[in-house]
Amino acid sequence: MKYSSFSPARIWTLASATVTQLVRMKILAFLLVFCVIVVGAGFAFPVMNPEQQLKLLKDVSFGALQIFSIVIAIVATSLLLPRDLEDRTLYTILSKPVPRFEYLLGKLLGVLVLIGVGLILMDIAFSAVLWLRQTMVLAQSIGALKQEGVATPEAVAQLNEFVGKQGLTWNVHFGVLAIFLKASVIAALALMISCFSTSTLFTVVITFCVTIIGHGQSLIREYFLQGHFSNVIEKLLSALLAIVTPDLGVFDVVDNVINGELVSSASIGLMLGTTALYLVGYSVVSHLLFVEKEL
Amino acid sequence: MPEPAPSPPAVTVENLTKVFKSGLGKQAFVAVRDLSLTVQPGEVYGLIGPNGSGKSTTMKAILGLLSPTQGRTSIFGKSSTEVESRRDVGFLPENPYFYKHLNGLETLMFYGRLCSMSGRDLKEKAREMLVMTGLEDAADRRVSGFSKGMLQRLGLAQALLHQPRLIVLDEPTAGVDPAGSRKIRDLIMGFKERGITVLVTSHLLEQIQEVCDRVGIMAHGRMVREGRLEDLIAVENETELVLADASPELLAQIKTLIETQGGGAKLVRSGHSRTTLERLFLEATEETK
Repeated sequence: MKYSSFSPARIWTLASATVTQLVRMKILAFLLVFCVIVVGAGFAFPVMNPEQQLKLLKDVSFGALQIFSIVIAIVATSLLLPRDLEDRTLYTILSKPVPRFEYLLGKLLGVLVLIGVGLILMDIAFSAVLWLRQTMVLAQSIGALKQEGVATPEAVAQLNEFVGKQGLTWNVHFGVLAIFLKASVIAALALMISCFSTSTLFTVVITFCVTIIGHGQSLIREYFLQGHFSNVIEKLLSALLAIVTPDLGVFDVVDNVINGELVSSASIGLMLGTTALYLVGYSVVSHLLFVEKEL
Repeated sequence: MPEPAPSPPAVTVENLTKVFKSGLGKQAFVAVRDLSLTVQPGEVYGLIGPNGSGKSTTMKAILGLLSPTQGRTSIFGKSSTEVESRRDVGFLPENPYFYKHLNGLETLMFYGRLCSMSGRDLKEKAREMLVMTGLEDAADRRVSGFSKGMLQRLGLAQALLHQPRLIVLDEPTAGVDPAGSRKIRDLIMGFKERGITVLVTSHLLEQIQEVCDRVGIMAHGRMVREGRLEDLIAVENETELVLADASPELLAQIKTLIETQGGGAKLVRSGHSRTTLERLFLEATEETK
């Protein structure tokens, strides 16, 4: 057998074991809860106007998607390392020719695959309900126009455009992509913290706090850069903040999607770039911490 | 023709010291102090000592799971800090646990893939290991339902899967009943016959005595005795003579001979040879089957 110092096959073996481990912990039961929430939100409040009905459905569904992805990213990732250490499975894995960075990458990839697949399934369910609701709302609205005798081709086209903008578009999927990218950054952060943490609870609490701070990072940075400190200190504080806490505000495009606004390609590029930067940065630091860890 | 280069020792530990740092204001703990040992290829080496004597720390340093504070460790000439050195090692930790969601066969497939094995070869090898460790009936059973002895045997199977030249066993019989313990002992004897090097720690000194070629005794992080087992346990000034079916007359004649022509030699003890409690247990439990 030839040994190679980097093996995608080994990383995939670890990732698939992580996915199976998490799936058998019944983590994906959340999917069922999500479907109930989406269907409930989709067909509740039929007396609202068409725009409000579709907005509410998107609002509730995106909220559930965010909760699912952030909770899995923090809790599942925080559990992985301590559990392997407590169960001594880490000893049997690392006593094989497996570099420590491959172990970390495998674990991270496993969590990301789980979140990704979960989000895709939820996106499919969400899109189906949204499309169904959109079709029903459109039919009802055209019916109402006809009853009032004002169903002119212009009025119907305007209604079509209006409902279509609030209904199922590529924007909805970009919103789901933004949620996935944010969850990826949070998972990498949780993995980094668990490399030096002494307990799962500590990892969960700290990651949760940093996630909250990360959502307001741009506000805090703005405060520091408004002349409260000298130039060098400002720069240092700003850099430190950007390194320690991820700028999660970059991923907040969901409100635009709910309001039917377009997600620009520049925003998508910024989100992808930011995710890549934090994933690489946190993974490198995780490796440096984990390689020194006494097992 | 030039002579082939001598093969490097299976395990080399040179002046190993391991200090665990403690929290602020607490004294650092020295787990291993200036330890040196060598295990030759094909040898069964037993490392024994009381709890906290540094055996497991030494093993972890050999496997690269801990980095030495001072000194170095190597496996077949490759430093333990190199991941590649682990290609030739199989490790069974004390009381091993595996992913509970996998069954016996899946567990071995998982570890095999980590060793770059794949396809039909891996599956065949995994099944062969299950048969060898007596777990063929547990191939499809979830690991969460395994007994302690079965987990230990599954641990051995994963350690052997990639055909390593060195096997490191940390308390392989801890918590296992005498029959399971005997099975593990027989497996170690089998490794010896196949020329596989074994480094083993155990609290069951009788088992160590049965399987090891050389033994190292550790206490307080230091090696206090080391050598070939026969040399270590031989009582220099005593000779053992074991007779089967000897008549009382013959025994009396021997006694007389010692008294009259012994030249200072004296009979220390005589009587029936004793079996061990373990053998008695095994015989008794086998009889009731």
